[in-house]
Amino acid sequence: MVNVTLRVNGETRSASVPPETTLLRLLRDQFNLTGSKLGCDVGDCGACTVIVDGQPVNSCLMLVGQVEGREVLTIEGLANADHLYPLQKLFEHFGSLQCGFCGPGVIMSAKALLDENPDPSTEEIRDALGGNLCRCTGYTKMIEAIKGASCILRGEEAPLVKSA
Amino acid sequence: MKSFEFFAAKDSSDAVTLLAQHAANAKVKIIAGGTDLLADLKFAAHGPDVVVDISHVDDLKNITLTEQGLNIGALVTHTQIMRSPLIRQFFPALVDAAHTIGAVQTRNLGTLGGNLVTAVPSMDSGPTLMALEAIVTIAGNGGRRQVPLNEFFVGPRKTILKPDELLAEIIIPKQNLGKPTHFLKFGLRKGQALALVNVAASFWVDWEKNVFLAPRIGLGAVAPKVIRAPQAEAYLEGRTISAEAMAEAGRVAVGDAKPISDFRASAEYRRHLVAVLTKRALESAWTLAQTRRLEGWNGQRNA
Repeated sequence: MVNVTLRVNGETRSASVPPETTLLRLLRDQFNLTGSKLGCDVGDCGACTVIVDGQPVNSCLMLVGQVEGREVLTIEGLANADHLYPLQKLFEHFGSLQCGFCGPGVIMSAKALLDENPDPSTEEIRDALGGNLCRCTGYTKMIEAIKGASCILRGEEAPLVKSA
Repeated sequence: MKSFEFFAAKDSSDAVTLLAQHAANAKVKIIAGGTDLLADLKFAAHGPDVVVDISHVDDLKNITLTEQGLNIGALVTHTQIMRSPLIRQFFPALVDAAHTIGAVQTRNLGTLGGNLVTAVPSMDSGPTLMALEAIVTIAGNGGRRQVPLNEFFVGPRKTILKPDELLAEIIIPKQNLGKPTHFLKFGLRKGQALALVNVAASFWVDWEKNVFLAPRIGLGAVAPKVIRAPQAEAYLEGRTISAEAMAEAGRVAVGDAKPISDFRASAEYRRHLVAVLTKRALESAWTLAQTRRLEGWNGQRNA
């Protein structure tokens, strides 16, 4: 067994799990944080994307032993009881998700992008979402939502007109 | 995933010690970024007995200029390469190559060393480093040794690394610092796609005679390992720089490639790509050489 202590959404969490456990399994099975999804389990789909020390990563591709002492942010760490995070609010407004399975990963990728680049171009957003597969809605409405959220996070008024 | 024992190395000498302890009587795998290894292990019938984690080994995460050239630690991630001021200045081709790997999430975890050690023939780090005549440092219990990258690869997913050795650093030799180089990848999509063919072209310019000097071409996904294109290089050496020469070098490079047909592309299509991408990579390296000359780099060998 591996004993691991890390920070998850601002709280210190510990667990004792077999060494072959991935960060994704740790979050879902030990900490009951089931927002991060198990999709392909090999780093292709991005449904398990979380932010580790400021960088978006596939949580299915990290072993628990590798996240000792790290700072992990998951989709559960964005909203509070009263307010959705602006990205979540804008995804809702623009209808950016259909089945929603890819959503937590997409939003974490977008969050990491906006933390680093508050005013990304469409091309930069597309690059940031290159590792997040969506098979129902497509990306147009996600890009609109991310642009809208970037305005709000910069303290500007967001364009809320839907394209279609 | 099959169960294994897990050990985290504190630094590179600790990693070498752990490998020496376990490699003699157990199947050991090193995990760095894990993007290739874990994807493999989840489907493997027989996993390793021991996994040695080197992802916290900070002494292999640096990019530095040394007497020998540009040293890139094996644990430098693809994202770090894309953001390194030194690499952006000297080798934009390495930045372009890193950008074509996987997607943001895999580039944040995946390392340059891991890309080389996995040794798939379509690796995107390979052609540029081959064209730049990179040298790798291998660390083992008996000390460190250096070999040309050209001799590091043995075949698909095979390198010369022994079970108790690890790849420590990648060095681009001093004489190639700033050598105009361009990388091109042809995949079926921009993100999350393996190369059908990838190519890097690199050369110095003799500005008085307007000829190619020390042309080097690296080809990926067209042989059991990443290769150089010796016939195309010989064709260009000392030849007057022209669009025709670059197109002909592309055609000659087809003879250096030994592609196979698989579900991604036919051998015939890959040969066509070798000719086109080699020509275009040469043209873009030529543009870079001219731009740098205008910007005041003198564009000469040993500049």
